[in-house]
Amino acid sequence: MTALIEFTDVGRMFEADPPVHALRGVTLRIDRGEYVAVTGPSGSGKSTLLGLLGLLDRPTSGTYRFAGAETTTLAERDRAALRAGSFGFVFQAFHLLPYRSTEENVMLAEVYRPKGRPAPPRRGRRERALAALERVGLGHRAGFRPDRLSGGERQRVAIARALLGDPDLLLCDEPTGNLDGENTQVVLDVLEELNGQGLTLLVITHDEAVAERAGRRIRIADGRVVAGGPEPVDNPSPVDHQFAGDRPQWP
Amino acid sequence: MAMIEKGVPPSRFGRAVARRSGTGTRISRSDLVDESLSAVLARPMRAALTALGTVLGIATLVVTIGIAATAGNRIVGRFDELTATAVSITPETTRASPDDPPLIGWDAPERITRLNGAVAAVALAESQPGQTPPVQANDIKDPSAVTARTLGVVAATVDLPATVHGRVVAGRFYDAGNVARRDRVAVLGEEAARLLGVTRLEDGPAVFIGGEPFTVVGVIGDLKREQALAASVIVPPTAAADRLGMRQVTRVVVDTRLGAAQLIARQAPTALAPGHTDGLRVLAPPNLERARGAVEDDVNGMFLVLGLLCLVVGAVGIANVTLVGVMQRIGEIGLRRALGASRRHIAAQFLVESAVLGLLGGVVGATAGMVTVVGVCVAKDWTPVLDLGLVFAAPLAGVAVGLLAGAYPAWRAARLEPLEALRAT
Repeated sequence: MTALIEFTDVGRMFEADPPVHALRGVTLRIDRGEYVAVTGPSGSGKSTLLGLLGLLDRPTSGTYRFAGAETTTLAERDRAALRAGSFGFVFQAFHLLPYRSTEENVMLAEVYRPKGRPAPPRRGRRERALAALERVGLGHRAGFRPDRLSGGERQRVAIARALLGDPDLLLCDEPTGNLDGENTQVVLDVLEELNGQGLTLLVITHDEAVAERAGRRIRIADGRVVAGGPEPVDNPSPVDHQFAGDRPQWP
Repeated sequence: MAMIEKGVPPSRFGRAVARRSGTGTRISRSDLVDESLSAVLARPMRAALTALGTVLGIATLVVTIGIAATAGNRIVGRFDELTATAVSITPETTRASPDDPPLIGWDAPERITRLNGAVAAVALAESQPGQTPPVQANDIKDPSAVTARTLGVVAATVDLPATVHGRVVAGRFYDAGNVARRDRVAVLGEEAARLLGVTRLEDGPAVFIGGEPFTVVGVIGDLKREQALAASVIVPPTAAADRLGMRQVTRVVVDTRLGAAQLIARQAPTALAPGHTDGLRVLAPPNLERARGAVEDDVNGMFLVLGLLCLVVGAVGIANVTLVGVMQRIGEIGLRRALGASRRHIAAQFLVESAVLGLLGGVVGATAGMVTVVGVCVAKDWTPVLDLGLVFAAPLAGVAVGLLAGAYPAWRAARLEPLEALRAT
């Protein structure tokens, strides 16, 4: 397995009086093809971690290597290019544009493309979007406005949008936070299926039932990884790795 | 596969290189326009209301400028009819000897009408004040009445009615045949006919000019130009030369096309008397352009301020609604940033959106303004003057207003941090 994400001693401190250490000394490694859940109580630093992972935010200390390359020194525009080319985002609030049809929402993912790579042609974008909808089982909802869809369907549209850029990593921030039990199951099934197809998944959730589905669970509390880090075990098991200290000892 | 082109050195130099080598993300122009347009069109009612301020501003501007131009043109229009198309040429009276051939011959109308821009011309021989032959309606000596009138006597070529825009109110004007046959015929000006008591032409009344009888064949009236002729007796040049000794052309009057007066004034002397142009005096109307400019500058100055004020109100409207839009769409901005949009892309989108609103206002406002100008003109029976430049400038002004109004909201939108924006809503 090759490492996709390598966090080394990453910290994120917010200027305030007194300074807020949202994350401290996080060391993590996530391999390609993994399905990782990050859990923790609210305020534990989950969302900060997602922002750092998704290059939406910069750490104040430590290093972050993505696919082998250092990202903390990249210019903002290069980080944007990396976001556009390598990341797919799924949010709790879906963030679908209300006045556009499902496939138009999906097509949005191809609007901003990294320079230096051949951009997919504009013609055929709709077909690719429809294919992505098909992949999440929503082919029959093409042409619908988001407000005509159930919560689970909306989230699957958002997943289809995240898939369109053919990302290396799907980052999901509380993807089931706004969904009822039945819709949660549907969305988790889709995620699992995508992981089965080789897509690397990182799901942030406070819901233990959601985290159960992941191959590895990382638990953070108070800005520190308290379990599941820093790197995958050879034979990931759903059993929670509980360690006494902040820095788990690996054999 | 995620590919980072090169291991970027962790230095400021490295960032500079990255910036220069054109990395980052891009959005195609058509995508940018698409994104902005569909955002605007998603809420058509709101877009219409937002653009309303600009519509009013641009419409006011177009109406004020349009009405000013039309009114200005109307003022100039009055000049046009009376003077702007009239050129008259007079030979200097000081001739070395009466035996010299006259500077201007009776063929002057033909010479002038050959010039491009000349509509009609007439050669006149006017009796000198003090030498006017007495004119009488009949030969009866009535001691109780003063029958001899001192009316002007004018010899004129047959083009007179066309040149002075006169109307033959009775009978006819004498024609080229009368001139060629040296007939002793006369046409009376309306006022002259009244003074002489000539009311009917059926029985061929005669007038006596300096004792010579002339048959009255017509009465001319409604003179738009050379109104003095209304109180004159007009006779053909041949009969005038034979009987009254009026041989020399004293004046040539030219009716020109609008705008051609200056040109005719320059060319007429050469056409009439090549080689002797110094001996001719030309009377031409003042330059039309200058008159128009002076009239419009006064009117426009005031109206422009009013229209610009309306535009400012329109701009504030767009700025306000766009700013509200930015605040409502924080989540969308965050999403776009997550999808790879740079700050510049976000700013560009909101700028284009407000520019589209401005363009919408400009187009609708220009249309409404032009309709209003035409409507006012129809009601007032004016000729509408619509400057084509204005028609095209108005939508551009709308775009400028939109861009100006969108600048601050776009900057606010671009400044948002993606992570915070995503957490909103």
